[in-house]
This record gives sequence, structure tokens and C-alpha cells, in this order.
Amino acid sequence: MAFPLPRGITPPEISFLAEMELVTIVPRQRLEGLELLGGPVHPLIPPRRTNIPLWLALLLKRQRRANILPPPWLHPESLSLILDIETRDQAYQHAFSPPPPLPGQPSLRERSYAKPTARPRYTPEGSKYYATPPFLPQNVAQDQAEENEPPTLPFHWLEVGTMLLDVAGDDLVDPDQTRRLLKELREVRSAKIRSGVEVLDDAAGPGGGVALTGVGAMEIGEGRGFIGGVVDGLRRIGASKEQARREQLAESATNGGYDGTQDYDDEMEF
Amino acid sequence: MEIDDILASVDHSDVSSPESTALDHQLLTRFWVAERSVPELLPWPARLMDRMMERVRQQIETIEDLAAASSDPTSISNNSTQNATLTLSILQTDLSRTQYLLRSLLRNRLSKLTKHSMHYLLLSSHNAPTPPPASGSSEAKHQSPEDSVPLPDPENLPSSSPLSPSEATFLFTHQQLLAKHFGSSFLSSFPPQLRRLDDNAGGTSMVQGPDKREVVFVRCLAEEVGLLAPPGPGEDMDEEVVGQTMRMGDVWVVRWEAVKAAWEKGDVEVL
Repeated sequence: MAFPLPRGITPPEISFLAEMELVTIVPRQRLEGLELLGGPVHPLIPPRRTNIPLWLALLLKRQRRANILPPPWLHPESLSLILDIETRDQAYQHAFSPPPPLPGQPSLRERSYAKPTARPRYTPEGSKYYATPPFLPQNVAQDQAEENEPPTLPFHWLEVGTMLLDVAGDDLVDPDQTRRLLKELREVRSAKIRSGVEVLDDAAGPGGGVALTGVGAMEIGEGRGFIGGVVDGLRRIGASKEQARREQLAESATNGGYDGTQDYDDEMEF
Repeated sequence: MEIDDILASVDHSDVSSPESTALDHQLLTRFWVAERSVPELLPWPARLMDRMMERVRQQIETIEDLAAASSDPTSISNNSTQNATLTLSILQTDLSRTQYLLRSLLRNRLSKLTKHSMHYLLLSSHNAPTPPPASGSSEAKHQSPEDSVPLPDPENLPSSSPLSPSEATFLFTHQQLLAKHFGSSFLSSFPPQLRRLDDNAGGTSMVQGPDKREVVFVRCLAEEVGLLAPPGPGEDMDEEVVGQTMRMGDVWVVRWEAVKAAWEKGDVEVL
């Protein structure tokens, strides 16, 4: 057995990834800058705020060498706003609340008219590279909240929230309330995952797929085995229709009458 | 020339800068997640792995130097010893995290390799293995399972091969052993023409590959990415049939074959 784990990263591996998220700390002691394999760490000079990876922040916090500034979304007020969107908002009855925009992606309100302006970096091999979580500053403290932007849950919300509650509870605003809200969010959202089994048939055909935009990393990890199994099973059942579906797609593409995009409103129907 | 092009050219040239360390770390992490999540073996990122291995080696040296310096009791005061211990433990944690990524990646590749060993060997060798001799000839009497194992040339792998040179060597030896074992345990009692491991009598190959139609979770990074519907085996259709379209920032459950081309271009990320 070279490798015993199933396909797709498992929950411990997702936590490992989430520990690469950047968080903001206020150091309590000096430390010179370090050249790590994960990238350079700036010198720690109290009380200047610095952004460092979560694993390092937790290490320093455990030794009482730093305090962690909680990310703006991990605040009872923001969490209850998000919970409101998840439960009350008609548009999100069957969908997750929208995720924070990627760099260059217009905010939700401007998305109907503004074009994305993402500009990739380039790898030394010359291929495109767009940064994504856990390498985006989605969990760092902001000096002022962006004007009128509703709070959003980052990709690794459950893992980062849980780890901060475990280790840095005393740095959070009202940890008990935060814990309760996180638990409620988790329940509401996993109910949405479970209720969406029917649309999985769309992912089973050729050229098809199901949108899960807004889903969290740990939620993917939990649903991966089930969703993967259901879709693969449906695909085998529908194997005889494969070629017919593909011909249909090709035909509608040549006629030009087929609009491949789903409406933005119902695309997160899952 | 725009500012991003200038930045891009800087990214190209200076591989030893701290920014490129951070970028390589992100690339390795993303590649690890993808390798863990997709059904087939991904192309070996030779240059990235070389850079990472070199960095790990240097970092181990740095840590050894620091450890030697801090264990020297005469040279430093009490306060800085404390900081040196902290620095050491941070460096070691960081090193272990990177080593974990590399180890998990390599072992995951090994398990994919051994699962479909004949498939990847056929992808990696230029020449087909010795064809089965005509039945009835004297050679056919001594046909053994090893003869059907293709020999890859690790120095000169075809571009279709996703293997690294050492993986190719390993895989060939592995398959040779397996073929010998099969031969001595049961295949030798079969009729000679049934002893091969790459039989494709009746038009059906017995060599199984990974199922590219299994689903993966992806995030769309470019403005728009269409889902492809490549033809199945034995189907004769034009290429490039596009189904639904993903938009930037969307997370989708799709077949791996539908987004493989976009992944190679860096337009989608596997989650």
C-alpha cells in the first residue's frame, strides 16, 4: 500500500490547507524575519500588526507570544448577518451565501454589468497562475470595513473559525455566541447540501455540471464521497444515453440557439 | 508593455527570490490538491519539483547550522538562546509541512501508478512490446508474461508520458516482478497464447486505465470556461463539443475529462 487514503483530500488534509490562510497578529515579542519554505515572514515588532500563516499564528499564540486579531467575518454581528442571508433571503433558499470575490472579480452588485478583470501571474514555466484560497488575504483584519459590502464566508470558514475558537478564544469577540452561530450556519448549509441530490443528474451527463458556488472547503470534503458516488452511479445508469446527449449538444451548438450559461440566479440551485 | 507583463517577466527570471519561494509553495500546494483529487496521474512537474527539492536541501542545512550554533553554550546570552529555540522550532515546523506535501504527493502518485501500471507503461514507451509470435512457431511455446511488459526509456520519455524518469524505472521493475510472479503462480499453466498481459483479442484491450469521467470539484478562475464533452471510446465525433459554461469564482461538480484542458491552461483549479 503506497497510499491508503481515498481520492480527494480528506478532512485532516483540508485543515492542513486551511492552516496556510493568512491571519493578522499583534506580536508580543520581537522576532527577526524568517525565510520559510512557504515564503518569507516579516520581522515581528510589537505592537505592529503582521500577516502570517495561521499555523505560525497558532504556534505563537499557544506560547503566548502573540495575539490573533480575528478576521472581520468571525464576529457575531457578521455571522448573524450571513445566517440571515442563508435562511431568510429568497434568492438563497437553495444556495449558499455568495463567497468573497476573487481578485479582479467585481463585487456581487456590480456583477451584472462589470466584467471580471483578473490578471494572472506567471509561473517560472510560463503558465498562468491565479491566486486562490488559502493564499488570498480573506482572513486578515481590515482597518476599515469595505463600504456597504455585506460580510461573506471565506472558503475555509469552518476550519479557520474552529481553530481560532479552540486556541485563541480569548482574542475573539464573544466566543460562545460565535461558536453557536458557526454551528447554526453549519447546520443550515449542510441541510442545503442534502436537499440538492436531485440536481446531481446534471453533472452525470457529458458537458454537464452542478454549481456549488459559495461552498466551503470542509463542506466539499464531507460531501465528496457521497456526491462523487451518486454522480458516478447515475453516469453508469445513463451510459447508454451518452452519445445521444453529446450529439444533441453539438447540434444545438451549431444552431446557435443554445445558451450554455445558466442564469446567475438559479445556478446555485444545489 | 503593461505593468503586468513587466511583473511577469520578473517572475520568469529570478527563481531564487523570496517571492518565487512563496509562488513555488503555492504551486506545489495546488498541484498536490489536484493530484489527490483527480482520477488519473498528472504530468510530472519536473522543474517545480527540482526547485522544491533544492530548497528543502538548503533549508535542512540552514537548520543544522542554526542548531549547531545554538547548542554552543559560550557564544550567546540567555535571551537570544530562547529566541533561537523559537526560530528553530518554526523553521522545523515549516520544513515538516513542506516535506509532508512532497511525501504525500509522491506516495499518491505511486499508488496511482501501481493501480494502472500497464496503462502508464504503454503511455511511456515508444515501441510497442515484442508482438506476440505467430501461433504454432517454436517461440510461441515459450511465451511468458514478462514479454508483454513494455520497456520505457527513462532518459527519453515520450511527451504523452506523465511519469518522472525514476517513476518510469520503478514502474518497469514493478511490472516485471508482477509478471514473473503471475507467470510462476498460474499463467505458466495457461495455453501460450493466453499468457500475455496486454491481450487485445476481439478488439477489447485488457489494459485498464483510469476513468476520466469520474467527477471532481473545480473552481473557475478565468472569466468563462466551457465544459467539454469529448467523445467516448469507439465513438466518432468532431472534437470540442461544449456544454454548460462556468463563470469566474464558481465552484462546480464536473467530470474530469470536461475540464482537463482548462486545468492544463491554468483556467480552473481542482478543489
